[in-house]
Amino acid sequence: MKVVNYLGPKVNPSIAKTRNSTPYVGLISPPPHHDIYSIEDLSQLIYDLKSANREARINVKLVSEVGVGTVAAGVSKAKADVVLISGFDGGTGASPLTSLKHAGLPWELGIAEAQQTLVMNDLRNRIVLECDGQLKTGRDVAVACLLGAEEFGFATAPLVASGCIMMRVCHLNTCPVGIATQNPELRKKFAGKPEHVVNYMYFVAQELREIMAQLGFRTINEMVGQVQKLDRKKAIDHYKSAGIDLTPILYQVDVPAGTKFYNTQQQTHDIDKSIEFEIIAKANPSLFRKEKLTLEFPIKNTDRAVGAIISNEISKVYGAQGLPINTLKLNFTGSAGQSFGAFATRGLTMTVNGNTNDYLGKGLSGAKLVIKVPEKCTIVPEDNVITGNVTLYGATAGRAYINGRAGERFCVRNSGAKAVVEGIGDHGCEYMTGGVAVILGEVGRNFGAGMSGGIAFVYDQNGTFKKKCNNTDLNLLEVTEDNDIKELKDLIESHYNSTLSPLAQRILEKWEDCLPKFVKVLPEEYKQALLRMEREKLETI
Amino acid sequence: MGKITGFLEFDRKVESYAPVEERVKSYHEFTVPMNEPELKDQGARCMDCGIPFCHSGCPLGNLIPDFNDAVYRGKWEKAAKILHSTNNFPEFTGRLCPAPCEEACVLGINEDPVTIENIEKNIVETAFSKGWIVAEPPENRTDKKVAVVGSGPAGLAAAQQLNRAGHTVTVFERDEKPGGLLRYGIPDFKMEKNVIDRRLKVLEEEGIEFKCGINVGKDITGQELQNDFDAVVLSGGATIRRNLPIEGADLKGVVQAMDFLPQNNRRVDGVKSFENEILATGKDVIVIGGGDTGSDCIGTSIRHGATSVSNFEIMPMSTTERPEGQPWPFWPMRLKTSTSHKEGAERFFSISTKKFLGDKDGNLTGLITSQVEWIKTPGQRPQLKEVP
Repeated sequence: MKVVNYLGPKVNPSIAKTRNSTPYVGLISPPPHHDIYSIEDLSQLIYDLKSANREARINVKLVSEVGVGTVAAGVSKAKADVVLISGFDGGTGASPLTSLKHAGLPWELGIAEAQQTLVMNDLRNRIVLECDGQLKTGRDVAVACLLGAEEFGFATAPLVASGCIMMRVCHLNTCPVGIATQNPELRKKFAGKPEHVVNYMYFVAQELREIMAQLGFRTINEMVGQVQKLDRKKAIDHYKSAGIDLTPILYQVDVPAGTKFYNTQQQTHDIDKSIEFEIIAKANPSLFRKEKLTLEFPIKNTDRAVGAIISNEISKVYGAQGLPINTLKLNFTGSAGQSFGAFATRGLTMTVNGNTNDYLGKGLSGAKLVIKVPEKCTIVPEDNVITGNVTLYGATAGRAYINGRAGERFCVRNSGAKAVVEGIGDHGCEYMTGGVAVILGEVGRNFGAGMSGGIAFVYDQNGTFKKKCNNTDLNLLEVTEDNDIKELKDLIESHYNSTLSPLAQRILEKWEDCLPKFVKVLPEEYKQALLRMEREKLETI
Repeated sequence: MGKITGFLEFDRKVESYAPVEERVKSYHEFTVPMNEPELKDQGARCMDCGIPFCHSGCPLGNLIPDFNDAVYRGKWEKAAKILHSTNNFPEFTGRLCPAPCEEACVLGINEDPVTIENIEKNIVETAFSKGWIVAEPPENRTDKKVAVVGSGPAGLAAAQQLNRAGHTVTVFERDEKPGGLLRYGIPDFKMEKNVIDRRLKVLEEEGIEFKCGINVGKDITGQELQNDFDAVVLSGGATIRRNLPIEGADLKGVVQAMDFLPQNNRRVDGVKSFENEILATGKDVIVIGGGDTGSDCIGTSIRHGATSVSNFEIMPMSTTERPEGQPWPFWPMRLKTSTSHKEGAERFFSISTKKFLGDKDGNLTGLITSQVEWIKTPGQRPQLKEVP
């Protein structure tokens, strides 16, 4: 994993907008994927992404390392369309040296291992194998192809062709040739043209064609994985290379005739079996005429990523803007499957009478989610878990009212959503950069690790919250400012109105007594960013 | 290095020159020094390039971003140390070098490059004035003897390095004083000779012996050198000059630059009379050749009091911008206007001299020239063609 540090000062308002984050709040990188701890998690993410955009090819990038073949086989089974094996060279000009050097292995090793594993298990035909990591010449492409890749990624060389002079200041906003900068004066200096990149690519293609002609290949597909055409240079006689045995890399797997060495078929994602197509059929008046509509559906835990496809359809028509708030209300009864409300967009209000699984509201993009205990149910909501782990991972906008406790990793990497929940497990609000989390109950350990933005309000009944925090840069404050009090009360009132939460009711009834027990969690970096934005606002006035 | 946003805040500024009417009255250097804050700003313009192309532009491999940064931070002694780690005599290069580093400067792609050469000169001048440049004799001697033949910049640098390595070095020079072209080619108005003398003093203090007025090959044979020394460095200059192979080149009044310039430098040094006095005083002077040597002859002629000075260049007039086909970071053939050109020379381009005309006493009276053009054919050297 390459590190790209977007430090606070570089995250100016336009970058923050592009990245759906808070201006002047640093974005810690590399982003640990707290939604992927297993190949099953990855499989779910691929399904979610495929639901969010059915035309997109889902490409999983792996670092070239020992054992990458096994991972690539898993990725193929998890139904990614492309697996990218990335070599250890390269990295952006913002990467620190520790990430540039020796992060992973050469792509040659990774591609060879991935190709051999995929072919041996007859998984190669299902997936495209891509290679990158300082590919620069047609010869590089030819070698990668013979080792097993059929797609190739280039970045450094085309950048240089278009004027990059490798200043290595991409993170400082001072790129003197106007490439990696938001400074309008410097951007004027950019002299690159698309033709420069096209011309470079012609050279690569020409060299590749010449090599292909020498080897007798007519197409890339014919050439993929034909390792017998590679040999080591005998002329290199050096003591350092004497002990190197390349036969495992140049090994041609022994497979039954007809086994495919390259991608020949599409993955079967089974998206078409989603219940959302039924919803879309009924929601047409909302989708195309913005009519207000409330629809009822049963839901079961095999219905995954519900909300993603319809949100995709909404954004195809209305873009990121979505529909007016509360245009389409979808009420579900039952136990929702994983990733309920994933990437759900503005205008949707999705309610579950029952419970939800992991990844609730993953990448939430403006919708309102309500998870409430069914009316007939007699359990005490705040004592019971109603949704799984990794709620609101990477959410950028929207609301979530959760009538019960959530599992671990609540609001991780949230950058704009506002949520009310009645208790959470470990690692809450980790790496959060924006938005608001209101937690009306107990909090697990390691709260707020790496939290650089956003605000959390925690109802600390027993005074134990401070011990659960893991971040010396968090300010733990009393809620005293008027706008904080108003926001907190509004959110709890909305929570009550949406879910009829008894806990919320009790808090609101004794508001004056309960308010002092709330702790406002304000990351220091966020505080500075807010002050700076306030200053800039005054300056522009 | 320098200041991260320095190049956005400060414009390029180099030393200015004394007005022409003032400076042509003497042979002194005429640059007007910059003050320290200005120099720091210029150091701040250096950009901390990931790939500092100035390193490859500089034939010495000077650590340019490092000393620019030190200057920006006001650490002049550190800057002098960095500078001397790759360059024995920055006071020479800081005055005379054509600065390929600046042509390779990354900032030069779309802005005026960093004033590397001027910063270099100021570092070494500061170091001399503060007394930081002192003899660094070797701690131990190797008992090996090395002869260096020729005391131009190459010979002096070789002598200093070999001496610091512990060898016992003797420099042989055929002229009366060491320095080679530094002393007898470069006019004083570009580099005053005390600049050489103060450096020679340091070299002598380090233990290097100079033997002047000895022409190796005549006064002493190569064999003798090999017998007396363990190693010999040949760093002599070429004194065989190219003549114009045209009719009349031997007329009285046709003068070679390397007769004209050394004589004048000796005159400035205090030599009163010469066997064959060459003076441009009151004469109409034509300088053939538009390069640096030509410029030196122009500046010298003007200081002699020539009636007029014209300069002929066989190449066409180039642009001041980087010509197409000579991309950054390579050295471009662009029009350079030297300080001497600005002192009152008329310049003619694409002009070739066909013949010198003389009277019956063998005195030069005129010359016949021809306008030329260069025919470029891809894959071949450009061909010179006369325009009728």
